[in-house]
Amino acid sequence: MDATARPLRVPPEMGIYAEKHELFQLLQNMLEGLLIHKPDEPIQYMISHLKQDNDHVPRICILGPPASGKTTIATWLCKQLNTPRITQEKIPNALWASLIQERLSNVDCIKQGWILEGFPENRDQAWMLQSAGITPRHVVVLYAPDTVLIERNLGKRIDPSTKEVYHTTFDWPSDPLVQQRLVEAEGISEQETAKHLLEYHRNFPRVFQIYQQILKSINADQPCADVFSQVLTYIQTWCRSAAPFTPRILFCGPPGSGKSLQAALIAQKYNIVNICCGQLLKEAVADKTKLGELIKPYFDSGWPVPDNIVLKLLADRLNRLDCMTDGWVLHGFPKDLDQAEQMERAGIIPNRIFFLNLPSESVMERLAQRMIDPVTGERYHAMYKPAPLPDVQARLKQNPKDTEENIRICLETYYRHAGDLAEFYEDAFYINADQDPYVVFEYIESCIVKPSTV
Amino acid sequence: MAAGEQRGREYLERYKIPELLHNLSALLLYHRPERPREFLIHALERVKFAKLTDVEYPYLVDESNLDAMFEMLDTTSQGYITLVQYKGALKSLGLSTQDLPYEEDATITLEIFKKEVKKLLQESWAIYQP
Repeated sequence: MDATARPLRVPPEMGIYAEKHELFQLLQNMLEGLLIHKPDEPIQYMISHLKQDNDHVPRICILGPPASGKTTIATWLCKQLNTPRITQEKIPNALWASLIQERLSNVDCIKQGWILEGFPENRDQAWMLQSAGITPRHVVVLYAPDTVLIERNLGKRIDPSTKEVYHTTFDWPSDPLVQQRLVEAEGISEQETAKHLLEYHRNFPRVFQIYQQILKSINADQPCADVFSQVLTYIQTWCRSAAPFTPRILFCGPPGSGKSLQAALIAQKYNIVNICCGQLLKEAVADKTKLGELIKPYFDSGWPVPDNIVLKLLADRLNRLDCMTDGWVLHGFPKDLDQAEQMERAGIIPNRIFFLNLPSESVMERLAQRMIDPVTGERYHAMYKPAPLPDVQARLKQNPKDTEENIRICLETYYRHAGDLAEFYEDAFYINADQDPYVVFEYIESCIVKPSTV
Repeated sequence: MAAGEQRGREYLERYKIPELLHNLSALLLYHRPERPREFLIHALERVKFAKLTDVEYPYLVDESNLDAMFEMLDTTSQGYITLVQYKGALKSLGLSTQDLPYEEDATITLEIFKKEVKKLLQESWAIYQP
């Protein structure tokens, strides 16, 4: 067969590199810019876009009915994120879009992002923003019951010199000079607020529809600090990107913490390859492969198999096509710092690492009573998951290695090395494994799906 | 298709943006620079200037790669490869296999192979307006 016609195998370094530098988002953002602006000189545009390097700056819209606290939240955000804040004043629609466009093409907005407060108010304004190519990355909507809002608005006060917004009950300034200066804001009588609210409710659902994917509603009927912390948390989460992602998951934990169970659940749900190190070794011996012959004497004598043989076996398995394309979940290796370092040198780099924590009493409890049905292969536990039928119960067998003495030795070995491993894998996730398996599974899922910390 | 989407697709087609991004990603993944942004900026500037001056486009394969490829194809060392093999090689380099000025049973020697591939590579980069 022609050498150049073999199926294309992408070297793993390329995948790891692309993930590490977030190439997909980089190119996607560039393409977005090209499609929105359609410059006549695309190459020059791409060069300037790359030089700007503003893929990660905040682009936020804060929307909400009058008196929901938009100004306060926007001001706090602006201070926290060091981003220019743009608010509205009474200007007609058409003029607005071009004004905003001009403002947003200022250098400070390009470099630091922007926070748009109270705009767009209705569907036409939102469309105008979109056609000008201005898309926020996060839209925050503050909501509260109308009665609360009407009451709040009555207490609104403005400091005429700094234009800061205060409130008679919730946000009273501590400086007496400021207190004296405050004037009542205009348009805060009950009727006016009610009118504004009506208009808001009429226009708002359409705007909601347009920004549905990036929108988050936050309850404004709470103390300001709470609202602010919720908004900040939301803004700092990135939307799930469409970048291709092959999971390379590693489970570490004491024996009996549920590593093989969780690995099997994940492998089944997401269709990735489940690799148990111990299993891999046994299969090699059973298949009588070359490496299997090397391993057999160790198995027979009871000595642990040397690291380099295990690593070779692992590297072979993980570099096969099904692992490369579908992803893998590994458990049972590495057990100490040395093995972890060798694994990294061999090019096996997991992108999600989990430590399942379990107190030793629970380990003892779980392992001492776990049994397996030799016919179906199902695993049972005398207390937590007893066998359903009496004849199944009769044939259950315990693993001869699960004696108390053995378990204690395994535990000790684990704890001795766990600290080093935790240091080596700095961005690992820690889970309390002393819970229901499905709770643990859901947590693991959420950690895999969300992008790794930027 | 909505008008906006139509215009977008036409734009992409006119300036051959997907092919350009394809080539850029291939360069990035092959060289794996520590700072991808700077690398991309350099590559794009080279493309911009290569049109005006004679500076070479940022190619992924160079002469030694082409020699090696030819050797791989010409397993019996006859000194030439068949048109079918030639087309396969072009496809794996990502070049177009249409409008080749060769007969069905033509034989391609190393010199012709290198010359043609270089020409096609040059053309594939030259379609990008700066």
